[in-house]
Amino acid sequence: MIRFDNVTKSYKNLRPALDDISLEIQKGEFVFLVGSSGSGKTTFLKLLLREEVPDSGTVWVAGRDIGELSQWRVPYLRRNLGCIFQDFRLLPNKTVTENVAFALEVIGRPRTVVRTQVAQVLDLVGLGEKGDRIPEELSGGEQQRVAVARAFVNRPLVLLADEPTGNLDPATTQGIMKLLDRINRTGTTVVMATHDVGIVDTMRRRVVQLDQGRLVRDQARGVYGFGEDMTVSSRGVPAISVAGAADAGYDAAGDPLTGRVATVRARRGTR
Amino acid sequence: MAVSFEYVAKETATNLWRNRMMALAAILTVAVSLSLVGTALLLRQAVNRQIGQWSNNVSLQIFMDAGATSTQVTSVRSTIAQTPQITRCSYLDHAQSYAQAKQVLAGSPTAIAALTPATTPTVFKCQLKSPGDAATVATTFNSGVPGVYQATSPSQSIRVMQQVTNVLQLILLVIAIVLLVSSLVLILNAIRMAIFARRREVGVMKLVGATNWFIRVPFMLEGLVQGVLGALAAVVIVLLSNIGVSYLIRHYKVSVLGSAVLPVHDLVVTELVVVLIGVVVGVAGSSVAVRRFLDV
Ligand SMILES: Nc1ncnc2c1ncn2[C@@H]1O[C@H](COP(=O)(O)OP(=O)(O)O)[C@@H](O)[C@H]1O
Ligand SMILES: [Mg+2]
Repeated sequence: MIRFDNVTKSYKNLRPALDDISLEIQKGEFVFLVGSSGSGKTTFLKLLLREEVPDSGTVWVAGRDIGELSQWRVPYLRRNLGCIFQDFRLLPNKTVTENVAFALEVIGRPRTVVRTQVAQVLDLVGLGEKGDRIPEELSGGEQQRVAVARAFVNRPLVLLADEPTGNLDPATTQGIMKLLDRINRTGTTVVMATHDVGIVDTMRRRVVQLDQGRLVRDQARGVYGFGEDMTVSSRGVPAISVAGAADAGYDAAGDPLTGRVATVRARRGTR
Repeated sequence: MAVSFEYVAKETATNLWRNRMMALAAILTVAVSLSLVGTALLLRQAVNRQIGQWSNNVSLQIFMDAGATSTQVTSVRSTIAQTPQITRCSYLDHAQSYAQAKQVLAGSPTAIAALTPATTPTVFKCQLKSPGDAATVATTFNSGVPGVYQATSPSQSIRVMQQVTNVLQLILLVIAIVLLVSSLVLILNAIRMAIFARRREVGVMKLVGATNWFIRVPFMLEGLVQGVLGALAAVVIVLLSNIGVSYLIRHYKVSVLGSAVLPVHDLVVTELVVVLIGVVVGVAGSSVAVRRFLDV
């Protein structure tokens, strides 16, 4: 679904924001992108959206080298990538329904499709009753749910989340993570940048860690800190099974340090 | 690209309303500058028509003394025949000359009253091979040919008049161009403000994959609407002033200026040019704004 081949990206600074990154994310995976502030997480997501282009290396999304896309095709790439952010980015003078509908209207979806899809997705995120509210009448968690609904309403292949829980308290965070997990179970690939230790530790999903633009860890069912089972994927092809991760659930207490490789390889083989 | 008409119309209307003071300033400036452009164009056409009428291809008039004898007239006629620069002449006798004078002087009844057919000089109206010869030929006839009162070249006075109107036109056009540039800048600025006011929406649109044209079209259309509204106001202003001038000319029977009343066809063409310039200014202003401030 997503592949980085030796991707390097520098801004004006001396040190590159991403330094020779190679990795692959399979369809349906849930991947945490962790690392301290300035380690390159946002840059990673921007390269996927083609908000930035790499200095060298290739970014593949759904089998396409997105560096090759002509400018007019970029919007069509983005229709396959839903996005949520720490600051929600809702339109303050539109209602919840209008905010979500906007995402479909501006890509020219017919009105009947907009109406049914918006209603469905609002039910999915648990805001079916609050469609007529405006964002400032909602709590932070509810606002982020609206953002998730807007990102997901067009059924993207991938959901990108850049510190989506950065502004939320732990209880609300848990609700959002349940929602992202639910979306992931529909087959949607989720890539979430975060430095929330708690989430990463409880979800036990694949963790990709960046440090000063370098990939320093790629662990299939990781916790935030370095575990004993530290794995750096040099090939950029970590073996991971979505099904396995999903079975475990986001609050699974399974031991991530045992049987990881065997389980994952086995499941992947059966697919 | 499926940009629904309804969406674009709604967006454009909302934008215009939200930014109405800026939009109004832009529209008014377009209106004023295009009124000047329209006026300058109409002035030029009116003057050209009027001059065409007056000169009627005559580039030299030789007025005889009121009491010139027929021998003198015959002698002047043969001198004319021997002058190579003159291609053709027609002779107006006292009666014809008086009739023409009455027509030319229609605006000043006192001057007409002072004339009688007998006191009106007869005149040779001549065409020259080239208008440039007018001065030299006039001089030959003015250097004491018996019976000749004065040889004048209407083209001289017409040239003065043309120069005056040219200068006037130039001034109008310069002012109009300055105003057109300012209206372009005002439209650009109005669109820039609209883009700024809608930066959140634009951000979301880019994020969810709206096409560049889908994002741009409402802003472009906003500029176009401003240009066209200004142009339409100018069309009305030009039309009214033209009706006003025609009415004055007819009402006061200033038949000398009769030809300055333009036919409908000329007026329509001028108004179309005005609307076209409005469209160009609107689209140009908003294109620059969209290109500079809407990085999609
Ligand atoms: N637009 C930019 N211009 C210049 N430098 C940038 C820009 N965006 C990010 N950087 C730099 O690139 C590095 C990685 O930033 P970023 O990808 O935002 O990291 P993170 O999201 O992990 O905090 C940082 O050193 C940051 O200062
Ligand atoms: Mg960041």
